[in-house]
Amino acid sequence: MDHMITAEHLTKRYRSRVAVDDVSFTASPGRVTGFLGPNGAGKSTTMRMLCGLASPTAGSSTVLGVPFRALENPGRHVGVLLDAAAQHNGRTGRESLSISAQLMNLPTRRVEEVLELVGLTPSEGGTRIRGYSLGMRQRLGLAAALLGDPEVLILDEPANGLDPAGIRWMRGLLTSFAAAGGTVLLSSHLLLEVEAVADDLVIIGQGRVLAQGSAAELLAVPGTQVQSLDDDRLGAALNAAGFDVATTGAGITTSATVDDVGRIALGAAIVVTDLRPAANAGLEELFFTMTAQHGREDVSV
Amino acid sequence: MSAYRTTHQAVGSVTDASSAGQPTGLRPATGGIPFLRLCRVELRKQLDTRAGVWLLVAIALVNCGFIALTLFTADAAALTWTSLSQSASLGQLLLLPLIGVMAATSEWSARTALTTFTLEPRRTRVNLAKLASAGALGLIVMAVTFAVSAVLNLVGIVWQGGDGSWALDWGVVAGSGLALVLLVWQGVAFGLALLSTPVAIVAYLALPTVWTVLTLTIESLRGPAEWLDVNQTLSVLMMGAMTADDWPRLAVSLLVWLAVPLAFGLWRTARREP
Repeated sequence: MDHMITAEHLTKRYRSRVAVDDVSFTASPGRVTGFLGPNGAGKSTTMRMLCGLASPTAGSSTVLGVPFRALENPGRHVGVLLDAAAQHNGRTGRESLSISAQLMNLPTRRVEEVLELVGLTPSEGGTRIRGYSLGMRQRLGLAAALLGDPEVLILDEPANGLDPAGIRWMRGLLTSFAAAGGTVLLSSHLLLEVEAVADDLVIIGQGRVLAQGSAAELLAVPGTQVQSLDDDRLGAALNAAGFDVATTGAGITTSATVDDVGRIALGAAIVVTDLRPAANAGLEELFFTMTAQHGREDVSV
Repeated sequence: MSAYRTTHQAVGSVTDASSAGQPTGLRPATGGIPFLRLCRVELRKQLDTRAGVWLLVAIALVNCGFIALTLFTADAAALTWTSLSQSASLGQLLLLPLIGVMAATSEWSARTALTTFTLEPRRTRVNLAKLASAGALGLIVMAVTFAVSAVLNLVGIVWQGGDGSWALDWGVVAGSGLALVLLVWQGVAFGLALLSTPVAIVAYLALPTVWTVLTLTIESLRGPAEWLDVNQTLSVLMMGAMTADDWPRLAVSLLVWLAVPLAFGLWRTARREP
């Protein structure tokens, strides 16, 4: 599979502080790659390096196979939203998009198209950005990223400031973008946001990659949860068959598969009242496990 | 696929209003951004904000004021196209460089550099487009001033019985045009070097004046001042009376007040993280 974004050993040092430490990952077409980490983990710095805005101390990165700075008319290939607040307050939303459209040599109708696409009304488009709420700025930023009909989206905390309906809308937008073959790299410290949309995950803490892989892989928790009329005896039977067993509030959890547990219970003639794969602990637990050792707990869920 | 995937597909179908990924009918991108297009966009950015518009309005008002003053008070014999357009040029000489300053600084104060440099990562090219477009704006404003002055010259002839000479001193015209462009570039250079609108404006307005005042009060500075006082060398240029001695003086003063801040500004903006 072709990688649309690659980061190779990216490192960024500011004086004595290491913001990004040997970060390598890829993002593939047709997939949403979630870049997840607590505040200050180095997500934004990494994305700035990907977009050629910051020079890495060591390492390199490419977008569409070349370093970002070597892209011709990059807005037509890569949509970037790094900071929704970084807009000129004295311009209207429409003017701000029109400038970019003119630079990319796009027809003026494209500005109206993306305004509609992100749910800003024509009259909101004609308002100066000074009067925009954070959510509106975020939508305008997304409009700017989508303007050039890019193949790749690089979005830093795009859900910031959106209300729940807005977050749901954005999920749909990113999913259909990826479904059409686009590549999405989105960062977030909001676990639920990434969990709901990402196909692949890169988890970062204190500047280092802590885990990466497909979301399915990272989230799969092997094991079974079972409740029976005689948990003690079932536990002993499972133990005897060589499986790990732990007693929980609601029955027992074991490393055996659902099939194994059913077969053993049948053999031991124990009535099973509840039998299912162990509840998917989800990204949250993974995330906390991965980052807890780094002592940053300022994560909102 | 995981349960998560299934969940968000369901959500996606609910919010099907989004059409990201749908065909947009845009022609595929070919080639980079031509320099002329970059200049046009930079020119637009100088004029599409309130600050830019009000500076132009202020220039027009100041010019109108001076031209009215000339029409009402000057001797009829002194009312010529040249004299009217000269008095009508003060506004842009004073204020147009501030548009140059803001062209450079607003990218950093409003942090639009983030967008600008992701759409054109060659930063020095963007800065050169700022210089070219701000200089072009100077020439456009000057052409407008000459056109308005021509109309007022007619008014002078009819109303005040003015001399109304249409003779233009081309040395003055070329000298004023060049001086205006150089002043605007000095504004851009100060903006790029200092990257803060108030600091750059104060520095642009105050430093050359402070130097001029110093050279007037301190005897020993008069010699070097002929080479280093940009107010002095530019006023000679604007009078259209450049001699062989004056060109090197102009060059040296511009090196100090334009080339050095510009070089530092280009170096600084090429490295700074927006």
